[in-house]
Amino acid sequence: MEQIQKINKAAKKRKRKENLTAYSFIAPNFLGFAIFTLGPIIFAIILSFYKWDGSNPMEFIGFDNFTRMWGDSRVQAAFINTIVFVIGTVPLTLIFSLFLAVLLNKKIKGRNIFRTVSFFPYVASLVAVAAVWNMIFSPVNGPINEILKTLGMMDPPRWAADKNWAMVTIIFFSVWKQIGYYMVIFLAGLQGISEEMYEASELDGANSWQKFRNVTLPQLRPVTFFVMMMLTINSFKVYDQVYMITQGGPGTSTLVLVYEIYNTAFKNWDLGYSSAISMLLFVLVLLVTVFQFKGEKGFVNE
Amino acid sequence: MKKFKKSFVLTLFAVVLGIVVLAGCGNSGSSSSSSSESGSSSSGKTKITWALWDIDSSTYYKPLIKAFEKENPNIDVEMLDLGSTDYMTVLGTQLSGGDNNIDVASIKDMPGYASLVSKNQLEPLSKLAKNVDLDSYGGLVYQIKVNKEFYALPFRNDIYVMYYNKDLFDAAGVDYPKNGITWDEYNTLVQEVSKKATKAKGSQVYGGHYHTWRSQVQLYGILNGKNTLVSDDYSFLQPYYETVLAQQKAGYVQDYSALKTSSLSYSAAFYQNNVATMVMGSWFIPTLETAMSSGQSEKFNWGIATMPVPKGVDDGTTAGTITSLAINANSKKKKAAYKFVEFVTGKKGASIIAKTGTMPAIQTTDVIESIASTDGFPSDAASKEALSVKKTYLELPYSKNVAEVDTILNDAHDNIMSGNASIKDELKNASDQVKALK
Repeated sequence: MEQIQKINKAAKKRKRKENLTAYSFIAPNFLGFAIFTLGPIIFAIILSFYKWDGSNPMEFIGFDNFTRMWGDSRVQAAFINTIVFVIGTVPLTLIFSLFLAVLLNKKIKGRNIFRTVSFFPYVASLVAVAAVWNMIFSPVNGPINEILKTLGMMDPPRWAADKNWAMVTIIFFSVWKQIGYYMVIFLAGLQGISEEMYEASELDGANSWQKFRNVTLPQLRPVTFFVMMMLTINSFKVYDQVYMITQGGPGTSTLVLVYEIYNTAFKNWDLGYSSAISMLLFVLVLLVTVFQFKGEKGFVNE
Repeated sequence: MKKFKKSFVLTLFAVVLGIVVLAGCGNSGSSSSSSSESGSSSSGKTKITWALWDIDSSTYYKPLIKAFEKENPNIDVEMLDLGSTDYMTVLGTQLSGGDNNIDVASIKDMPGYASLVSKNQLEPLSKLAKNVDLDSYGGLVYQIKVNKEFYALPFRNDIYVMYYNKDLFDAAGVDYPKNGITWDEYNTLVQEVSKKATKAKGSQVYGGHYHTWRSQVQLYGILNGKNTLVSDDYSFLQPYYETVLAQQKAGYVQDYSALKTSSLSYSAAFYQNNVATMVMGSWFIPTLETAMSSGQSEKFNWGIATMPVPKGVDDGTTAGTITSLAINANSKKKKAAYKFVEFVTGKKGASIIAKTGTMPAIQTTDVIESIASTDGFPSDAASKEALSVKKTYLELPYSKNVAEVDTILNDAHDNIMSGNASIKDELKNASDQVKALK
């Protein structure tokens, strides 16, 4: 009896030691996370119930910041615009990057050059390319509109200068900019599909569409799920493209949530209200992500 | 085992929370402990730091500091460049943490000033500056007062004037614009010179130029002294927007959206020698002089006339933008800092600033003389005369919500000028939004 207890104790001790070692390895990472991410997040949640300008004493105001959002036309515009951006960007990027990946997975001549070309926008500096886009899409004598005019379009869109087209311009830009990155992820996924499956389907007489439909797509499901998750979360965080191309304009037609969060925090110094808007974004992303995880079952390989 | 795990995680959490909390309080703790030093260095000299922007392109910083240090040998002034793009945001963030490294700060705009004041980050100056004659600033200090107190003293007051390209007027055979013309006369002038000069030159000449800033249109609305841009009824801006949009539609001025998407700067636009007139701040004088001599601009003769005013407004009225100096409320060297502020914003500072071609806040006849005698300044008497103003209205008056108002007005301007909303609806919309601010 005593013997057994002793052995138990020794085992416990060893286990404890092992655990401590493990925790000490995790600690640096976790500490960094706690100080630079978790701490600020908790602080932001608390802050959303306060009125604070960063200097004067904080003042508890309950749910005032949240009720204020209901009547705030700028926040409403930002909310709608963010959702429009996500709905526009996610499917387009997904389809085009998958299409590119399948195309560039074929053994064609100069494949590496094409891959580099499609990846290039992702590597290029956003500030520089946005400036170039603004010139190309300039409503007055920009090349795109000149081409449209010679093709017989009398009244081409005014792109970033038109409140109905500004968001479209930003969606186009974002899709073009990030397509290369997701293409690479899809390429990796494609390379993981074994040749044998294609050979087997060929023996069954499948044409290339059927092969894509019945072999490639199901095999890519986990990758597609990952891409969609990352893409959705990243799209909700849209800020830099808007800042570079339209600064939220014309009017509020491209104002997005992160842009408004920045504005209220560092232009108006209304840190409590800005935290409350962040919570809105947080809940929005959380809901969408939970929804996607629920739908994941349909994505995972059988 | 489970228990241990739990307690371990809890301890870890407590430690982390402790670190976060300590880090949060660290600022106030450290600042009070180092106060004994009071900032004087070992040599007995006090070093003060001046937060500003664009060290390289502003010619008056160094002469100012040199002259001040000569007069006050025991104070050293060090510059801290926070960059011009987001200057007020960066400054606000710096001071928010209770920073006491910055002693004196340049204040660039009213929204930034208002937020620093409401955050109690600027030192009240009425007591320190009780010997300063506030009237010497032409009423400007009264426009930045907050409940009888003021937190900054202006050292630059850039007034709006009309720059015009003499060569284009000569080509068009139109008389040069006179000082004191009205807004309606200006409208006629823009159309006339645009048509005639385009014909004479055989290439497109724009009679006027409105940069994308909202102030380029909205300032005309406040010159009669009855309205300000913090208002709950902006209908007084309607006639000015109507005129400008009509000019834009007819091609007498460049298209707002094109200017915005191409990010063409107003200076580059004027350098191209196809813009006949442009209303812009007096800060453009030294820039234009340098651009002419360095070849950055095409060569042409230019002149200055007063900013057009609405009918019924007194001659010599214009809009202005001030740059002022304030003292960080957390500074440990306020005495030395105030000495510097007093020097720069005073008469001596004004004459040093004027010598570089920049408009100081105190505008005496000597100062105007000094600016007009800089290299490259137009030689005609009318140009010099245009610099003497009697009344300057600030772009935005002080108000608690001025930052929000600024955003609302920018949106409205953008919507109207890009043709995305009717003038009336958009001005009504802006009025409603300002009304809703608390």
